[in-house]
Amino acid sequence: MTVINEKQCNGCKICQIYCTVDAIIYNSEDKKCYVDQDLCTECYVCLRQKVCNRGAIEPIELDNFYKQFQHGMSDPVENHGVTGVTGRGTEEVKTNDVSGRVKKGEVGIAIDMGRPGMGVYLRDASKVAMAIAKVGVELQSAEHTPLAALMKDVKTGELIEDCLNYHLLSVIVEGKCAENKLKDVLGALQEVEKQIDTVFSLGLILRVDEFGQTKALACLDELSIPQPYWGKVNMGLGRPLSLD
Amino acid sequence: MTHSLHRSGNIESQKKDFVWFMYQTQGVNDKNIKPSALEFIAAAEECGSENWGDVKTGPITKYSVEEIKDKITDKSRLRGVFTRKEQVVEFLEIVKSKDTGMSVVISGVLSEVIPTCKDAGVTPHSINYSLGIWGKKDNLPDDVTLSVTTMCGHHMIPPKFVNHIRNQVEKGRLSAEEGAIKLANFCYCGIFNQVRCSDIIKENIKS
Repeated sequence: MTVINEKQCNGCKICQIYCTVDAIIYNSEDKKCYVDQDLCTECYVCLRQKVCNRGAIEPIELDNFYKQFQHGMSDPVENHGVTGVTGRGTEEVKTNDVSGRVKKGEVGIAIDMGRPGMGVYLRDASKVAMAIAKVGVELQSAEHTPLAALMKDVKTGELIEDCLNYHLLSVIVEGKCAENKLKDVLGALQEVEKQIDTVFSLGLILRVDEFGQTKALACLDELSIPQPYWGKVNMGLGRPLSLD
Repeated sequence: MTHSLHRSGNIESQKKDFVWFMYQTQGVNDKNIKPSALEFIAAAEECGSENWGDVKTGPITKYSVEEIKDKITDKSRLRGVFTRKEQVVEFLEIVKSKDTGMSVVISGVLSEVIPTCKDAGVTPHSINYSLGIWGKKDNLPDDVTLSVTTMCGHHMIPPKFVNHIRNQVEKGRLSAEEGAIKLANFCYCGIFNQVRCSDIIKENIKS
């Protein structure tokens, strides 16, 4: 947990511009800053960048699993304990040429909850995970993606109650479905996006032909979703190469 | 993590923004990665990668190349940026010839990246397509700020700090290039494109 030592703080407010989610609040009565613990994501930017020259910002031991999870997802320097991957702890498309996680005829769904920069309460991540599970997305297991460790059941996507009020800088809801289910999944996301109090950035992972093309995105036009112009291209240089 | 996938801003500006990755697969080729990592760093330097780094140490805008190399472990992740398509082609040609077995990913505007595959003689395997931002967008920062903050996909760059830097440049206390370096130092991975950032600042300050 990140706190501001009130004895050290002189109320200069410089630290406020370094907070990624505006969780540093100035109290005009005692002329000190404090960290709103409900908003703070434990990203540790204020600590790593040493923004207080009086050393008033201090880390306190993250004393439960959820706080550790919150920090692990919000601070990219950390490796996730199970997947071993830094950042939000998933390899997604980056190693798909070797892992074969998303195969021909499938669509990988990577929903960056809280991104860009808004943060996400896990209650909203739960809503989105449940919405896509309901229309046939097979959510990734805890072996591959961190959020699954907080699910009651990866078949439903529902997160356990104790975690719902934790605020993370970002976390990925990750799964896959058959290409012919993509339209249903996107429709479900168009519905659930109206029910959450934050944003998400959506990525679709697909195997492509030798020219870098796929026909699976044709359904976007039917849903009035603009065709993507930015992507992350796995160049197929990993070995052993997955041909699936 | 998909931290290079959702960069935003003016399309012409984005065409000067390419992110490269070397990636090891857990349980397959994730042991003793340092020799491969050094090959990637050599290729990146040969092609003039404007920024690169290892999330476990930080970017070259803040740390020396030697320090980053010394600290490489099997938990490291090597990434960086290019600003020109020609650099990407050359980089792909080199890493293909080294045949390290590591996965290689390039993020960017697809109409720019896809042709580099053919030019470099590589066959794309999979693509993670960005479908943009969904949900409650009312509280997002303005588009210019987002075009800067999204260059650190982990969002280590606070929007208020971007405004602070723009103010400093407007007041003549920093050059746009100096301001861009200060922002780049927040992105531990080294995928922040400080060249593009400097251009964005110059285009959007009140003169």
